[in-house]
Amino acid sequence: MKKRITKFIALAMALVMVLALAGCGKGNNNKNNNNNPTSSPDTPSDLSALAGTYDITVWVSESAGVADLTKTQIADFCKDNPGIVINAKVEGVTEAESASQMIASVEDGADLYCFAQDQLVRLVQADALAKLGTATQQKITELNDKTSVQAATVGGVMYCYPMTSDNGYFMFYDKSVIPENHLDSLEDLIADCEKAGKMFSMELTTSAWYNAAFFFATGCKSEWTIDSEGKITGVDDNFNSDNGVIALKGMQKLLKSKAFNSSSAGSDFSAAVPSAIVVSGTWSTAAVKEALGDNYAATDLPSFTVDGKTYHLGSYSGCKLIGVKPQNDTKKSAVLQQLALYLSNEKCQLERFKLVGWGPSNLNAQKNADVQADVALAALAKQAEYAVPQPQIHGSWWDIAKVYAVSAKDANTDEELKKALETYEATIKGLFEMSVNEKEAWTVIGSMNGDTNWTTDIPMVCKNDVWYSEAIKFVAGDAFKVRQGKSWDVNIGSDGKAGGPNFDVTEDGYGFVVFTYDKATNTGVIKLEKSSDVYGFSVIGTINGDTWSKDLTMEIQPDGSWLTKEAYELKAGDEFKARQGLGWDVSYGNGGDNYKVETAGTYYIKLTTDNKIELIAK
Amino acid sequence: MRFFIEKARKGDIMKPKTNKTTGTKKKSVPVRKRKSFAEGVKGFFKAVGNEIKSFFTIFVDGSWRTKLSYVIFGFGNLVLGQIARALFFLAFEALFFFYTIKSGWARILKLGNLKELTEQVEFVRLFNKDIHVELLLSIFSVLLVVVCIVVWRNSFHGSYRNDKLLKEGRKIPRSAFDKGVINFIKAVGNEIKSFFVIFVKGSWRTKLSYVIFGFGNLVCGQIARAALFLAFEASFIYYIINFGLAWILKLDNLGDIGSHEEYDPIFDTYVRVNGDNSFKILLYGVLSVLLCIVCIVVWRMSFHGSYENDKLLEEGKKIPKFKDDLHDIVDSKFHRTLLTVPAIGITMFTVFPIIFMILVAFTNYDGAHDGYSGLFTWTGWANFMELFNTKTSNLGYAFVHILLWTLVWAVLATFSNYFLGMLLALLINKKGIKLKKMWRSLFVMTIAVPQFISLLYMSKLFAKNGLINMLLIKWGFLEFPFDFWANTTASRILVVVINIWVGVPYLMLIATGILMNIPEDLYESARIDGANPFQQYMKITLPYMLFITGPYLLTSFIGNINNFNVIYLLAGGAEANSNLLTSGGSASDVDLLITWLFKISMGTESNYKLASVIGILIFMVVSVISVIGFNLMPSNKNEEDYQ
Repeated sequence: MKKRITKFIALAMALVMVLALAGCGKGNNNKNNNNNPTSSPDTPSDLSALAGTYDITVWVSESAGVADLTKTQIADFCKDNPGIVINAKVEGVTEAESASQMIASVEDGADLYCFAQDQLVRLVQADALAKLGTATQQKITELNDKTSVQAATVGGVMYCYPMTSDNGYFMFYDKSVIPENHLDSLEDLIADCEKAGKMFSMELTTSAWYNAAFFFATGCKSEWTIDSEGKITGVDDNFNSDNGVIALKGMQKLLKSKAFNSSSAGSDFSAAVPSAIVVSGTWSTAAVKEALGDNYAATDLPSFTVDGKTYHLGSYSGCKLIGVKPQNDTKKSAVLQQLALYLSNEKCQLERFKLVGWGPSNLNAQKNADVQADVALAALAKQAEYAVPQPQIHGSWWDIAKVYAVSAKDANTDEELKKALETYEATIKGLFEMSVNEKEAWTVIGSMNGDTNWTTDIPMVCKNDVWYSEAIKFVAGDAFKVRQGKSWDVNIGSDGKAGGPNFDVTEDGYGFVVFTYDKATNTGVIKLEKSSDVYGFSVIGTINGDTWSKDLTMEIQPDGSWLTKEAYELKAGDEFKARQGLGWDVSYGNGGDNYKVETAGTYYIKLTTDNKIELIAK
Repeated sequence: MRFFIEKARKGDIMKPKTNKTTGTKKKSVPVRKRKSFAEGVKGFFKAVGNEIKSFFTIFVDGSWRTKLSYVIFGFGNLVLGQIARALFFLAFEALFFFYTIKSGWARILKLGNLKELTEQVEFVRLFNKDIHVELLLSIFSVLLVVVCIVVWRNSFHGSYRNDKLLKEGRKIPRSAFDKGVINFIKAVGNEIKSFFVIFVKGSWRTKLSYVIFGFGNLVCGQIARAALFLAFEASFIYYIINFGLAWILKLDNLGDIGSHEEYDPIFDTYVRVNGDNSFKILLYGVLSVLLCIVCIVVWRMSFHGSYENDKLLEEGKKIPKFKDDLHDIVDSKFHRTLLTVPAIGITMFTVFPIIFMILVAFTNYDGAHDGYSGLFTWTGWANFMELFNTKTSNLGYAFVHILLWTLVWAVLATFSNYFLGMLLALLINKKGIKLKKMWRSLFVMTIAVPQFISLLYMSKLFAKNGLINMLLIKWGFLEFPFDFWANTTASRILVVVINIWVGVPYLMLIATGILMNIPEDLYESARIDGANPFQQYMKITLPYMLFITGPYLLTSFIGNINNFNVIYLLAGGAEANSNLLTSGGSASDVDLLITWLFKISMGTESNYKLASVIGILIFMVVSVISVIGFNLMPSNKNEEDYQ
């Protein structure tokens, strides 16, 4: 809200400026495509070409000392790369907050910022992260563990640099309350806490990240398919299953316990009503150590038993990441990428481990003796066996999934648990709910463009009750069908009947799928044509004594150019243009003007792929 | 005040209820005799007969307006300037026919096959009950037809009544709204008329002023004025041609080409290439439109100003110089000078953001389409549909549920503070209470601590592992801590009680001041007449308080509807209510519409469009309550009572 207000104040200022004729232009297309080969380095490691002064803003974790450490690290980077001067404004912003602030206004956000993995998809969707260069991607893949590389990747494209590989949770406990032989059983632990009058802190009702542990224990999964733009295209989720009910039953043991507290704060150990167990991650280590002193201990999560079967609690394992905001300036972009690479290297990761105990993602740093001796990281490593690498997930999932735990807390029967999971599933499916228009729209789907698995729907547009696809490049042997609402419930085959056989393409080249549908009989006619009333071009002008009234159809050629069906007798001085879809939105002549015939003759008229008109003598 | 006292002496205010002599206004209501059943039936048929008869007689007797009112609802009202009524009639007719032709009639026909209808499995969850959607809609359609007939009857009867009034030479009753609309239309008409009249009658200077702003001033020697006009015109044209027009033209679909990233192989880095930004297009587009409106106003000033000069010259008067203008600004036109800054401020910081927010509700502006990464565009009423589409989402249910709690909260929070604050003030004001100042300061202490600190502190205090629970366990009331914020009833009571704690001191201060102002002789004469303290309170204190604090009461009610601070700081982290599950922002038991809106817009989906729709709906709720409340208020109704 505050952000919005500042935006408006900024606006008011902008208006004043505009009035003062210092207005701003449309977009700041600061394209600095530096294609000068003499000044460019051959290898990215040679950064002398990037010499210059850069003002940047950096957001790092608000944990004590991290900001100062980052400042020193940036200074080290400048020292290593003489010529590069970076004036960095380093600010402490929590990892959750930084993503929200970036999304609220990318332009006002930091150039370099740290965030937790669950925010990645949102950030990619908001264009708040610049893709990594090809060479850099390779480097990151070599230097870091697999989980963290996966964590930085969305739809096959790497968007950021892994900083830690410790964003998972495990169990901190109070040695004086919990006997060591009870550590494996959730039931025993709950009993111990209740007996001691202490709390068992696990953030079940307010965070899906923690409560998913029970579902992973019973083998449930929630996997989301995401394209490289960050758009969610589908979900494979079986929380609503018998195993899901078992998971909720296990969760109920803790939810219904009097000792349960939905929290993950390390300071719970020293609260007014203290906890004996807190499920949290490495970021709480310092607080827990301070609260427990000699009683500090950590280990993996316990198991629970339902109907005689034991399930070890799973967990998410994820990463903290550092990303670069997309820049208009090539050099600045390159410097920021190099700096981010530097900040995520072995040296910097170890420095952060020493300061705040963050577990490195760098393979070499992980082998460091101090890292291996850390109690919390050891517990994390122990839990790793049961952990699920955190995939990229639809942002709304975190909101939706925490609610079944609330339902489970009040539920008394299996039916109620099932109902909670059904609501959960319905809401998740609702994320992909299509609008009425989308449901009624027809699409072409088939093996074109190498889509052998028939995964991509090619949209069609409707004009006068006829559906037209855009130009599709076919190869002989391709097959396709048309379907409605991107589902196979209503589809038409080559015989025009519902569920009919595939339409087989017999020759190479571009084509338009034209389709008419009769709703009453659920039949239709599919045609593959070389011209189209919507996407096709036609020639119009003073040809054959016509006065710009009749469109002469053109056909698309195998190379994507357009050619009239027949040759026309053209006189010198005849004028015409080629236009798309029988309208004037897109038309080509001699540039934007009409094409003028210079020498009379009989010609075919051609529209080349770069939208120029050529005359081809018959 | 003297009036009040005199009135009190007359016995209007202070006399207790038991005194029957004051009941002068009571009308003698005729005692209804129990009619026999036969009489009832007879009466009913008679009424129906009259109704049918009047249907024909009115058509025959009525004027042409009334006759047309049979077809066009409210036509008779419209022609005679009863705009508000006519608008209601017309809107009803339009909506009725639109709905009935589109789906209502088909639904009514469906009622013929009740069995099939009740087999429909689609339910709508309303107040925790499953209701057949189709059956409900069919019954609704039938009811609508009945309502339409009644409205139809009122249409031509109303017009006929107007006919009679005209015949009797009496005035047609018009509401303030009607008068406003008529005046507005007249003003617009005058404006248009003057536009042409001035052009025809004006001198050549004035005619040229239509094209060159301030030309008339320039020729008449008002250099400074002319310079301002010309400068405005020049900068406006420069801005519009270079920037404004492009923004306005793009408003139709808020941008065509999005941004993308290009790979730079030399530096192995991606570079962003900016495209259209829908957010900026909407922002600057609307600003440019506003600027155009300003330009029209200035244009009008230009030729009107020149015409005034023409007149002055005709009358042989002196044309005011810039010095005179400056003098006017601080003298006869000082009100304008004073109001300029606030007016500009309100336009920029209130009106413009509101226009922008309202427009956002008609786009698909959210996290995935934020203008910077993905373009957004106009979507019409789709967001409103989404909110109330109970089939595809839980949003509609959540909205109604949260709205009800918001209203309950607003009533509780406002009146608990109001009456407890007053009570506290009365207590402290009472004769015989010692250390009055100490008590007052003690309660005012809560104001001294910034509200958000005390609220956050309270939130922690009542946490499951907080101090309150520790103490309750220590004292043996509880064995294990109780989760106040996760329990519906407990959390709702808590927010109200804590709100009393932070709000009562303000009321106490206000009430203290007012109570001390009530003339003591009122109470004295009341006591002499034998009124007990409660009667004194009801007849003197409360009316007095209500009269003075009426506007305060209304604003604090509105403020409580939008009381973000108390709810968010106290229970912002409370777990969601599983019945209010919605993607992108599940609400908790104590969430108000405003905090829900915050969760939605700041949540994982950054669903600004939906938040904007909810914002509009909150605005509608608030404005309806304001208008009704303000009109009911004694301080508005009986303005002279206490002067």
